[in-house]
Amino acid sequence: MRDALDKNPGFDPRSGGTSAPSTTGAPPATSRTIEGEFSCVGKPLPRPDVAAKATGAAVYGADLVLPGMLTGRILTSPYAHAKILSIDTSKAKALAGVAAVITHEDVPKLRFTRSVMAEGLPPFAYEGENQDQFILSDKARYVGDWIAAVAAVDTYTAEKALDLIEVEYEQLPAVFDPEEALKPGSPIIHEGWPGNVAGVIDHPFSRGDLDKALADSDYVVEFRGRNSRQKQAHLEPDVAVARWEPDGRLTVWSPNQNAHLAKKTMAQRILGINEGDIRWITTTVGGGFGARLSFGVEPVAVLLAKITGKPVKVFVTREEDFSGWSSRTEQRQTIRMGVTKGGTITAIEQRILSDAGAYFSHSGTISAVNMQATLGVMRSPVVSGKATIVYTNNPTSSGMRGYGNPEGSFVLQQAIDMAAEKCGMDPLEFRLKNAKGTGEPSMWEPVTLTSCALETCIRLGAERIGWKEKWHGWGASTGAAGPSPGGRYRRGVGMSIMTHASGAGGFLLEHSSAIIKLDEDGSVQLAVSPCEMGQGILGALSQIAAEGMGLRYEDVHVITGDTDVTLFDIGSHASRSTYAIGNAVLDAARQVRATVLERAAGILETSPRALDIRGGSVFVKADPTQTVAVAEIARGAIYDYGLEGRHITATGKHQALTHCPNFQAGFSEIEVDTETGVIKVLKYVVAHDIGRAINPLTVESCLQGGAYQGLGYALTEDLIIDEHTGKVLTDSFATYKMLSALDMPEVEVILVEEPDPSGPYGAKGVGETGITNVAPSIANALYDACRIRIHSLPMTPEKVLAALAAAPQSPDYNGG
Amino acid sequence: MTKQIAAFTVNGAEREAIIEPHMLLIDVLRDQFALTGTKYACGTGDCGACTVLLDGKPSLSCLILAVTAIGKSILTIEGLAEGPELHPLQQSFVDEGAIQCGFCTPGMILSAKSLLDENPDPSLDEIRHALAGNLCRCTGYVAIFNAVQAAAAAMKTDSTGTEARP
Ligand code: FES
Ligand code: FES
Repeated sequence: MRDALDKNPGFDPRSGGTSAPSTTGAPPATSRTIEGEFSCVGKPLPRPDVAAKATGAAVYGADLVLPGMLTGRILTSPYAHAKILSIDTSKAKALAGVAAVITHEDVPKLRFTRSVMAEGLPPFAYEGENQDQFILSDKARYVGDWIAAVAAVDTYTAEKALDLIEVEYEQLPAVFDPEEALKPGSPIIHEGWPGNVAGVIDHPFSRGDLDKALADSDYVVEFRGRNSRQKQAHLEPDVAVARWEPDGRLTVWSPNQNAHLAKKTMAQRILGINEGDIRWITTTVGGGFGARLSFGVEPVAVLLAKITGKPVKVFVTREEDFSGWSSRTEQRQTIRMGVTKGGTITAIEQRILSDAGAYFSHSGTISAVNMQATLGVMRSPVVSGKATIVYTNNPTSSGMRGYGNPEGSFVLQQAIDMAAEKCGMDPLEFRLKNAKGTGEPSMWEPVTLTSCALETCIRLGAERIGWKEKWHGWGASTGAAGPSPGGRYRRGVGMSIMTHASGAGGFLLEHSSAIIKLDEDGSVQLAVSPCEMGQGILGALSQIAAEGMGLRYEDVHVITGDTDVTLFDIGSHASRSTYAIGNAVLDAARQVRATVLERAAGILETSPRALDIRGGSVFVKADPTQTVAVAEIARGAIYDYGLEGRHITATGKHQALTHCPNFQAGFSEIEVDTETGVIKVLKYVVAHDIGRAINPLTVESCLQGGAYQGLGYALTEDLIIDEHTGKVLTDSFATYKMLSALDMPEVEVILVEEPDPSGPYGAKGVGETGITNVAPSIANALYDACRIRIHSLPMTPEKVLAALAAAPQSPDYNGG
Repeated sequence: MTKQIAAFTVNGAEREAIIEPHMLLIDVLRDQFALTGTKYACGTGDCGACTVLLDGKPSLSCLILAVTAIGKSILTIEGLAEGPELHPLQQSFVDEGAIQCGFCTPGMILSAKSLLDENPDPSLDEIRHALAGNLCRCTGYVAIFNAVQAAAAAMKTDSTGTEARP
């Protein structure tokens, strides 16, 4: 029946024919789209935001020019730890063209944290983030800390003025190693936090007698590991524009990932005004990856605009961005795992030492999420997790894509392989035996998994990498078996699995809304507030809206990024937008659909239940020749010359205490040059439990991009900080090594579609996940190839050579 | 400092700007001509986001003094499409999912254009080399390679089509 309808040209009142939206290019070969079932969902439709990006028309923050706008720049500290004895701004203020110079004396005396997510934490979950900083600091706590700011007629003048500010510092002893920072006698970084302990978090789902369980286990394995401070390195440097309007309200334009909470934080934590006094507009965002869940330069722009009475644009350079306030949090971790001879996990313990850097930011929530994901993927009767968060004089860390999961997985997944080896089990079978599945507690344990396609992901991924043929087995020395007998180049395969949330229901306020308005020509305006930072969310939400109403994709116009227009939303993070906002959109779409059907039933003289909508046309299911265009109904609802007129609108919402976890398996095949220590990735395969791919092209692209960042995290990317001065040494793209077009290996993406009952059309999240399995699967492949384990990221040639030199050539060696 | 009125050919049109010797081409394009499609991402020649074509050659406008571009023909992303129709490269970047945040896109497309102008049928390896100076933080490049190949194919069909027409 549906097929017949699809082919019936009568169902598109406007184009008189092609009611199916045009598809561009074939769906990825690896995806499984369900033909015929949907008209918009599951199709690789072009996204609404990209044509403007292809022509240069898209307006990013730096492109915004307002009448009378000034340029703001920030003076940063050259010292890692120093008292500010005096600041003389008189010369800077006297420079022609300078409108304002501000220091810590001019900023509100309200402490805040850069993490705008803190405002979404429920009181029962954690204590929240430490409110530990002012907009401009009264004491330098890292190289790059903000000391003063200038607004001037142009960049040239502003930067000249920065040079004229005279700051007298008294250097203080600094500490850069989190373990050192905990020792008695270490320099104290914040008065309110003795011993530099910024916080301690106990995993809320710890249970059982750990010591006993480990003592009773047949084997216990232990692995220590540490991740690098990967930099988000979004290509667009941070920027913000602020303007105080004549009516006393404030408008902020910035690429923040969380407009509504940024507005709330700005109002309550910084300015002490009402939320309604602020309008927050999200510009086109040149990449987020978690960096923009914190304030960047917005507070400085807001303050300079207030003092000068003019719009002010503040920006940072790439060097300042690298030396600034945002990178993946460095976490030193130990995993201990008990197992039975038969390969059943009896206990898992995780200990984390988390280096917040100079200010707290995301280092607490990231530790909590790390434990949830790391301790939440495998079944274990006894679980113990604890994180200690430490202040140091390193740059402030924050959350980056994966948000604790790539940190924890690097350690856990190696420990899993070690446990499998003890039991003499194939690590793939060991994972299948111990991984959680449908009906079991999720990573946030009060929630039960309503779907889990992990097993399918593992089996498909293993097939594509050639696990059976290529994995060497534990007993076989790599010198004697497999395709790479003991020469200079050795090959190996490794795997890793993970679970990640599709939202933060349970541990963060999980609330999204959407507005749909049906205009007189049958097109709709969809107002939503995710941050489109490149992930394709506006397209996915438009597809859900169109599908839900029976309209064509091109009939949906999406409006976003303006808190005066959009309803509350908790922001774009936690791989939540398609799932959570998608549900809100679907709720609104169904309401609009119901209203349209009701009005159509009057016209077609039947009941709404007898009707359906497709391609913008309502038809009688039993007699598809009887139709009325949605446009006609929409027009009639507005141009009603009686008293029944009402513009058709609906608001939809999603609110949940669940987060619909997704699952994923990753497989790496590598070749190690044992003379140079270089790891070459031959192929990476990622199989993701997507529930339903609303737009398979977008999902594939997202996983490709995640794999790209995962490869950098695994092999090359590291923010290197001078251990004496605290200065970031890798402060350019020349020194901070991201993969170029020449370095990208083959990545195969497999989308496993087993719809979850709670997702919009069954969809689950994907955004952050592509990064997580790369490093651990490469680490396990390295063991398969060379019988060595690396304990810190990135896995550079130097570390590989050192491990090779230290390794007794015995199959039992696990790197200690 | 001596200011001068300098003439450039930008996207096919004669434009004048008041420039000083220290001014960079990227600033003149963005601030004086409002051609903000040219992106600043590093300022040190390491990322390719600021790529424009100078007399057809990909050039990093963040490193080039504006004075040295006087009299040259400059193509920015805004000049690529003729009329409302997207250039085949822009269309293929849209269609292949080669654009995420879009910040690298203008530079990436212009580097690709210069490649296809010289080599209408590049191999994957040639595409990788041509784009090696353009960083993309979002896509993992694969979709971008696909887009360049698709555009090459489309442009071939196009030009054959044009030639075949009387
Ligand atoms: S901005 Fe010119 S190369 Fe990066
Ligand atoms: S699409 Fe974001 S940098 Fe390339």
